[in-house]
Formats: sequence, C-alpha cells, structure tokens
Amino acid sequence: MAEIISLRPLIAVILPAIGIAGIVLSRRYQNIREGATIITAVSTVAIIASLLPAVLAGNVYITNLGSFVPGVAFTLRADALGTLFALLASFLWVITSFYSIGYMRGLGEHAQTRYFASFAGSVSAAIGVAFASNLIILYIFYELLTVATYPLVTHDESDAARAAGRKYLAYTFGGGVAVLAGIVLVFWSTGTVAFTSGGIASLASIDPLIARGAFALLAGGFGVKAALIPVHSWLPDAMVAPTPVSGLLHAVAVVKSGVFGISRLVLDVYGPETVAQLGVGVPLAVVAAITIVIASVIALRQDNLKRRLAYSTISQLSYIVLGLGLFSPEALIGGLLHIPAHAFMKLTLFFCAGAIHVETHTDNISKMAGIGRRMPLTMSAFAIASVGMAGLPLVAGFVSKWYLLIGSVDAGYPIFAIVLLGSGILNIAYFWPIVYQAFFQTAAETDAKPVVEFSLGGQWHPIRTDGHGREYGDEHTEETDADADADADADDDADITAASDAVNNKQSDDTDSESSQRETALSGDPSDPNAETTYAVDMYPSDHTTADTEGSAQKTTADTIDDTDESIDPDSASSDNETLNTGMNRGQDSTGVDASSSTDSSSKSPTPDASLLNTPETEVDDNTDTSANIDHPDIDAPDDDDAYMSDPVWDRRTIYTESTWFMLGPIVIAVTGAVALGIIPQQVVFLSLIEQVVTAATGVII
Amino acid sequence: MTDALPLLVVIPLFAALFPVALGYLWSDAGWATAAVTALLHLGLASVVAQQVINSGQFSYAVGGFQPPIGIELVADSVTAVLVVLISVITILIVAYARRAGPHQNAFYSELLLLTAGVSGVVITGDLFNLYVFLEITGLATYALVAANRSPAAALASVKYLLVGTIGASLYLLGVGYLYVATGTLNMADLAGQLPAVGYDTPLVVTGFVLLMTGLAIKTALFPLHTWQPNAYAESPHSVTAYIAALVSTAAAYAIFRITYTVFTTSFASVVPLALDALAWAAAISVIVGSVLAVVQSDLKRMLAYSSVAQFGLIIAGIAVMNEIALTGSLVHLVGHAVMKAGLFVAVGGLASIAGGQTIDDMIGLGRRAPIVSLGFATLAFALVGVPPAIGFAGKWQIVLGAVSAGHWAVGVVAVISTMLTLAYFLRIVERLYFRSPSSVDEQTSDMSMNMTTDGGDAMATSISQTTRVIVTLSAISAIALGLAASDLISILEPALEVYF
Repeated sequence: MAEIISLRPLIAVILPAIGIAGIVLSRRYQNIREGATIITAVSTVAIIASLLPAVLAGNVYITNLGSFVPGVAFTLRADALGTLFALLASFLWVITSFYSIGYMRGLGEHAQTRYFASFAGSVSAAIGVAFASNLIILYIFYELLTVATYPLVTHDESDAARAAGRKYLAYTFGGGVAVLAGIVLVFWSTGTVAFTSGGIASLASIDPLIARGAFALLAGGFGVKAALIPVHSWLPDAMVAPTPVSGLLHAVAVVKSGVFGISRLVLDVYGPETVAQLGVGVPLAVVAAITIVIASVIALRQDNLKRRLAYSTISQLSYIVLGLGLFSPEALIGGLLHIPAHAFMKLTLFFCAGAIHVETHTDNISKMAGIGRRMPLTMSAFAIASVGMAGLPLVAGFVSKWYLLIGSVDAGYPIFAIVLLGSGILNIAYFWPIVYQAFFQTAAETDAKPVVEFSLGGQWHPIRTDGHGREYGDEHTEETDADADADADADDDADITAASDAVNNKQSDDTDSESSQRETALSGDPSDPNAETTYAVDMYPSDHTTADTEGSAQKTTADTIDDTDESIDPDSASSDNETLNTGMNRGQDSTGVDASSSTDSSSKSPTPDASLLNTPETEVDDNTDTSANIDHPDIDAPDDDDAYMSDPVWDRRTIYTESTWFMLGPIVIAVTGAVALGIIPQQVVFLSLIEQVVTAATGVII
Repeated sequence: MTDALPLLVVIPLFAALFPVALGYLWSDAGWATAAVTALLHLGLASVVAQQVINSGQFSYAVGGFQPPIGIELVADSVTAVLVVLISVITILIVAYARRAGPHQNAFYSELLLLTAGVSGVVITGDLFNLYVFLEITGLATYALVAANRSPAAALASVKYLLVGTIGASLYLLGVGYLYVATGTLNMADLAGQLPAVGYDTPLVVTGFVLLMTGLAIKTALFPLHTWQPNAYAESPHSVTAYIAALVSTAAAYAIFRITYTVFTTSFASVVPLALDALAWAAAISVIVGSVLAVVQSDLKRMLAYSSVAQFGLIIAGIAVMNEIALTGSLVHLVGHAVMKAGLFVAVGGLASIAGGQTIDDMIGLGRRAPIVSLGFATLAFALVGVPPAIGFAGKWQIVLGAVSAGHWAVGVVAVISTMLTLAYFLRIVERLYFRSPSSVDEQTSDMSMNMTTDGGDAMATSISQTTRVIVTLSAISAIALGLAASDLISILEPALEVYF
C-alpha cells in the first residue's frame, strides 16, 4: 500500500480542461475541433491507463496541492475505486466522442463547439470526482460537473430543453446542498473528511443521531444524481438532450458520479462495519429495492424509447446502491461491478436509440416495428445489451447480478434476491417487445400494447385489444371509452394511437345504433356539415368486395370505424373495407388488425400485406363516397416524428449501409465491451480493481 | 514606515481637490488625478500590508496625540487585506470609468473622496472618527449616485441621503451613549472600560443596539435596505460597481470591529440576546433578499437585492461568535466585493450593447458578447457557491462555525442560500446563452437604435476592451482567491484569534 507522489492524477483531471481551450480555439475548423476532442480523450485514457499497473498492485497515486480550507487538504488520490471510475469515464468518452461526431453531423446540430467543450468539461469534472481524496474535493468536482453538464441538457434551446435544464439544476444543486450539510456535520463531529480505507474511525463513536443524520443527508444528496426515488424525476426530463449526452449522463458521468459518491460514503467515509452498526445500510438497500421495482414498472409504460431507457437506468442504478447497502463482500463486488457493466450496456442501448433517431427520425417504440430490417447491426447490438440488462449469462449484467444475488442471501436478506430476480423479469418485459417487434414483426402485424397504452389496473367495461369495447354496441361504454382513453392520454408520453382512439371513439359516440356509426365516422368530425344521416343506403353505398359473414358484419362495422385514423381515406363505408382498414393502420399500432381478424371468420384470407395492396383500389372506390375530404388533420397532427407513416415496410439495409461508422463503430465497441465483461470478467481490468477495493474495505480476501 | 497609514486617507482627500481645481485648464485632469492617486493608494496599502505581515498589528497616533485622547489608527491583518482590496477596486473602477463612467471632473473628485472615506473607516481605531469617515463616505456616495443627472437618480440619491443620514445619526447617538457611559471614544480603551460599567446596563445595551442599527442601515440589511435597490439601479455603472463593492463592505467591517473590538465576546456571553437578535435579523435578510431578487426584472436591482442577501450571510457569520464563522465572514466580505464589482462592470458592458439593463435585454447576448457573458456566468456561479471559487470558502466556514456554535438556524439558512442564489442567477444565465431573440423585429430594432445618436445612451456595437479585461480579471480572481482561500484565512487568523 505504498503512496506514490505523482502529477498524473492532476494531469488526468487537467487534460480535458485544456482540451476545452483547444476545442474553443479551433471552433471555426470543424475537423480540427473534433480532432482536438479525440486527441484529448485518447491522451486522458492513456494517462489513466498508465496508473493501472501500480494501482492493481495496491499502490495509490497522490498529488498534493496544498490546503483548500483549513483542515481540508487539496489532494488528488488515485486509488482502486477512483481509477475504476476514471478509467470507465475516460474510455467511454473516447467512443462517445466518435459517436457524437456522427450524431451531431448527421442531424446538422447547432452550437457544436459549446457541446464538445461542455463534454470535455464534464469529463474533467468526472475524473476529478473519481480522484478526490476527501469529501470536500469530491463536492467541488461534483458541483463543477453539474455546471458543466447544464449546457448539454439545455442544448436544444427549446422550451422543453430549458425547462429540463432548470429542473436538472434545481435537483442537482438541491442534492449538492444536502451533501454540503452532511459534510459539515461530518467535519464538525470528527474533524476530518478525508477518505479513509475502512471508514473514518471516529464516526463509529459519535452520537448516533448525528451520524445517521449525516449519512441520510449525504446519501440523499448523492442519491439525487444517482436517481433514487423520489428524487429521480430530473432524469427522464433530461432525455430532451441529444442522445450522446443522454449516454454520457446515464453511463459515464453524472449518474455514475452520484453512485460513486454513495460508494465512497459507504466504503471510505463510514466504512461497511459502521454502516451496519448504525443500521443505515438496510434502509438504503430498501430505498434502492423500491426504486428498482417502481422504475421498472414505469418503464413498461413508456412509448418513447429514450424515456424507457431513462427509467431503466433509474432501476439499474439502484442495483449498485443495493449492493452498497448490504453488508456482504459479494454484494459489494456485485454493486461495484455493475458500475462498468451497466455503463457499457446502457451506452450501447442509448447509442442504438440515437442511431435510430438520426437515421429514421423515429423516437417511439410503437413506430419501430420491423426496424430490424433497416438497422440490423444496431438492433442486434440492442438485443445483446438487453439480454445483459436482464441479467442473462454471457453479457456483463449477469456477472454483477450473480454477485448481488449471492451477496443478498449472504447478508441475510433473501428478499433482495427476489427483488433482483423480479427486476430481471421486468427488464425482459420492457426490452423484449422492442427486440421482437424489430426483427420478427412488421408494422402491419403489430397492435396496441395494453401495458403501454391503457390504464394500469384495467377498466370497468370490457375492452378489446384493439381498444374498443363497443362490440356489444353499448353507447354508454363508448363515452366511458372516450374518457378512459382520454385519461390514458394524460400519461407522460402522449401516444398518438391513444389520441386517435379517443378521436375515433368520440366520433362513434354520436351513433345510436351500430348501423349509423360509420357515416359520421367517415367525416371524422361530428360537427362536420357533410356528416351523413343514418340511412342505410347512405351508409353502405358500395357492395361488399370481400366475403363476410352476415353476423360479424354488423358487429365489426362498429369496430372497423375506429380503424379510420389514417391520412388515407378513412372510409369504412363498406364493411368490405375492414380488412384494408386494418391494413391501413400500419404503425399506428393501435387497432383492429388482429382484432377484426379475430372477429372475422377465416374468410379474411388476404394477409395484412395483401390487404395493404388492396388499399389503393378500394380507396379509389370510396373516394366517391360521402367523405371526400381525405385528410383529417386532427388525427394526423400528433404524428410529427415518423417520416415513414405511410410506408410501413422498412428498406432492407446491410451493416455497411445502415448508418455511418462514426455511430456504428462505437455501438460495436460498447457491445463488445459488454460481452467481454460478461465472458471474461477476470481479464477485463474492472473486476480486479473491485476485488482490491472490497478487500481493503471489508478485510475479507476475495 | 507607519506614516503610510494616515496617508491612505490624506492623499485621496487632498487629491480630490485637483480635478476641480485643474479642471479649468485640462479637461482630462479628473481621470489622470484619479489614476495616479489610485496607484499611490495601492503602493501605500502594500506598505501597510507588508508591515502588518512582518511585525503584526501596529497603530498610529494622529497628530502625535496619544490615545485615548487622541485619534488612533490601527492596522491589523484584517485592515491590511481590506485596504489592498480598496486600492485594487479603485484602480479597476477608474480604468472602467475612463470609457464608461461619467466624465465630469466633479465625478472624479467625489470618487476620490469616497476612497478616502472608505479607507478611513477601515483603518480607524476610534468610534467617533469612524462616524466622521462614515459620513464622508455617505456624502460622497450621495453625490455619486446622482452623477448621471437623471431625475430617477436624483430621487434615489435623496432617498439614500435621508435614510443614510438617519442611520449615521443613530450611530452617532450610540457613540454618544457609550461616551456618556465610559468617557472615552477610543475602541481599545472602550473595550477595557465597558466591563467596569457593566455589559448589561441599559446604557451599554442601548448603545450597542443603536450602533448596530445605524450600521445595519449603511450595510443595507433587511428591513433597512430600501435605499439600496434604487441607488444601485439608477446610478451610473461605474458608481454602482464601486459602491456595491466597497460601501456596504466598509459598514459590515465596522459592525465586525465594534462587535469584537469594542464589545468583545464577553458582551455576547452576558447579553446573548443582542447577538442572537442580530444573527436572526441577518438570517432573515438572507432569505428575503434572495426572494426579492428573484422577482426583479431590472438586472441592477436584482444584484442590489443579492447584496442584501449576501451581507445578511456575512453579518450572520459575524454574529454567531465563533472564530471559524468570523473568518468565513471576512473571507466572504473580500470575495463578495471582488465578485460584485465584476458583476456590475459586466452588467454595464452587457447593458451598453443591449440598450437596456433588464433581464430580457440579456437574451441572446451570450453570442454577441462571449467574453463578458462567460465572465458574468462564472461570477454568478461563484456567488452561488460553486467551489472552488471564493464564494464557497466563506460559506463553508460560516456554516461550519455556525454549527459549531450551535446556531443551527444560521447554518441551515447559509446552506440553503445556495439554492436561493441559484434561483435568481439562473434566469440570467439562461437568457444569455439558451434563448435567442425571438423575432427578427427585435434584432432590426436593435440595429436601428444603434444608428441613431441621441447623445445619451447610444448603444455600442461591442463592449470596450477595458470592460472585458476587468470582468475577466474579476472572474479569474474569484477562482484564484477560492483556491488560495486557506492562505487568505491564515493571513486573517492572527488578528481574529485575539478575540477568542
């Protein structure tokens, strides 16, 4: 355990800050500016990697810079835990930089200099957090990290971005206030805030009330950045930032610094024994477990891919906190190992989401059916990373989860093992549909996902999976349908399909009998002066062209009307169009494709794809119908971000043509890292560093 | 060279005559005199500081008359730091005023008078002498606030005059009470005589309250602050920067000096209510000042309310009677002066290209004035308390000291003040960088305004180099002082230890 006096920790912190100067000075020359970022990133990794051999042998690098305030030394210290975080941050910065280049140029983004400069500043602050030798220095870089990442969150300069930035600052500065209060308490009661292996000894002997209060303040303050419930809500809102920033926030810098703060708190300020003795570890683990479950459940309901990933991050971060709260060496290893494991996996997922956004301008899962054709490599990486998130073997998440499970049982709280296993199932529940529909479904085959679009806990009246309970022709339930669907709209993410369902149901509200419904639905607006009367001759102006059973025709007329939510003529003037209506619903994800085929007898012979082909012809027929106005802006309006609305089938691309290598390369590297951590964890340096840390902290030789 | 001490006052006082006298011959006499005097002042301050660092506290008997009859000037390390601060700020503002400030020679005379007054407050060791210098400061400030000759400025100046004179009179009354009680006006002598009279006699306690109230008016603590927002908002930019940095600072220093040198910590233990009341008033000032700052739309008024809050923090640190907190207060006093001066100069620069000083005028200036905006943002976050800038060091000490002394309320308020300060600074930073002027009309109207020369507040196309330099220097000093905070504290410590 030798202490090596060296400037290298200081250089590692300063280099990215110097990079800021390089980036700003070369702002007029894009390629030089990007080159500055890359050079800075690579040299930072190199410096930190050069620390590894000695750190793995148990030594510590120290840079002493005098005293900051009386009693607090301004020292940078590279020990095993710090080097772990710093190495992770700097390595992921390199690949995120390449990805940023592809992303920013792909979207033609503004203010790129500010973006790259703030990125460098954030990484500098993150490495400062990693190499801090006491709570005050950690606090310094913690606050600087907040200031440096704020311009990244507000990058878009839209109202939503500004609001997200304000919320972000309010939460993180509030957390900083709590941390400062905790630091004051610790310093006042013990006279020191330096990180001591095994914990500051005197904390075990002071008044337990003060000790617990200080722990709560510190854990709560760090927990804001670590996104513990209930201070997590800045994170989903921060998704308004560009995707590399979300990757940085979620995988590299901000959230991991929060978790790192908690790990320093548990390991080097209080020490595991004191934490257990004061009895504050288990409440922390309980908060973490609650976060894991609740965040996963909320993630199930998100349609926006980045928001889903945000809630997944909130959930996964609490794996780490859970491991830290349990007094068991294996749990500690599992928790700490999840830092790099989750980083690689989540970065992969975010990179995939960003690549999808750049290439196809798709943000919502409901539009991503069949996207595996268009982006095979991206979605394959997504699939692999999802497997890891669920904790299945061969990918990084399994190794850390394994340790966590053993650790929870070892610590005497098997309930946490059950929580972890349940979380794995929930992970599968919210990642599997994305992967499945990307590869094994096309737009026409997908339909509404009940968990995403309808209220949890169900509804009072019967409802079919196409969203309508009107098969019994009950107008009373139609109104409640509209209300229920309108309520569903009140969710965080307005789902277009829900909105259109509400519109459809409102249309059908006007009808008294099932026969009268269609014409009013045709006009799309009850107050439309062109709305027809309820005479059957007007309702069914053309002959059936597809074979239908009589009975189901009456029933299904009611249903098919609700399928009229496309820009294409929403004529369900004839029940013969039901199949093509259902076909027209591509990507709307909502209604009726399978529903109507379920009520239909097997006479519905054309495949959904074929029914799509039918669309143009019957469309011509029905154009002569009452509703000449084809477009229904109120239905189409919400649908901004999917440029492929009317083209339900994605182009087939190969890995060479799906996207640029600026984005695909980092995706490949990140997913390879995740797999490497899963298959050969001992060879990848992180586990060795963690074993060092835990051995020093608990005294148990791993 | 102990003569340097009175020369700190005499030279600016004497030099104040020259701009008016020579102004008939040479129109630039004002600025030249002020520049030379400021440099001389810095030289003298360095001499004093050198002496204090080498041989500790020293004193000087004015006119050779020995205290307690004669007036005594005392220099300890706190004084040394503050006179250096005064010199530096004077140099910066004189440089800034060359381009920006009022150009009349009378302005420079008044500025030099103010320098003399503020230096006098900081070096004197006699209560009545302190009153004299407070009044000199006040009179010069009243004149300076009205320097840009607008009706609003005249009104603000009159209001300040009325309130300030009441404050000075209350202070004088307090001095009178103490004189009646002890028969001496010398601070060190009073400290020895007051215990004999009795700390808890009504005379002494009332004297304390009167002194503190008068000085609180001068420091602009809530609810005695009402003169400050108008005075800051209506005065010229150079004047605002100077008085924000130094006038309230001098008054806060006076509170410190009287509380610790004259009344000492023994008074606090005999009459704890007095200091507790001061601490509570200061804590309330922190909260109210910040809340009022958030609702302002004029940038200078907002910074004025920010001063109310910051000085509340400083006085709270003084009032908790703890050495660590006291050190923090004095560190924050110095740091705040530097940061506020920089902020006001930045506001002057930004307002000159925006054509106005409201918050909404700042929209999009991050692009048009990158250096000054960055300086503003840095100083803003420094004042919020983001380490390692100086704003954090003082706050940390104050919180630690308050908690050690058992004043949990002050500790909590000091910690929360971070969030409150953020609330009003974030609005500006957001508008500087993350909003763009919404309509083309706004931009074209800005450009057309530029073309009209109405001779008064014509909009500049770019900020002057001096402004940029001053703001950058100020921002860098805020960070450098923060990193060197422990050195600053070790300089201040010898003077403060004697009180505990």
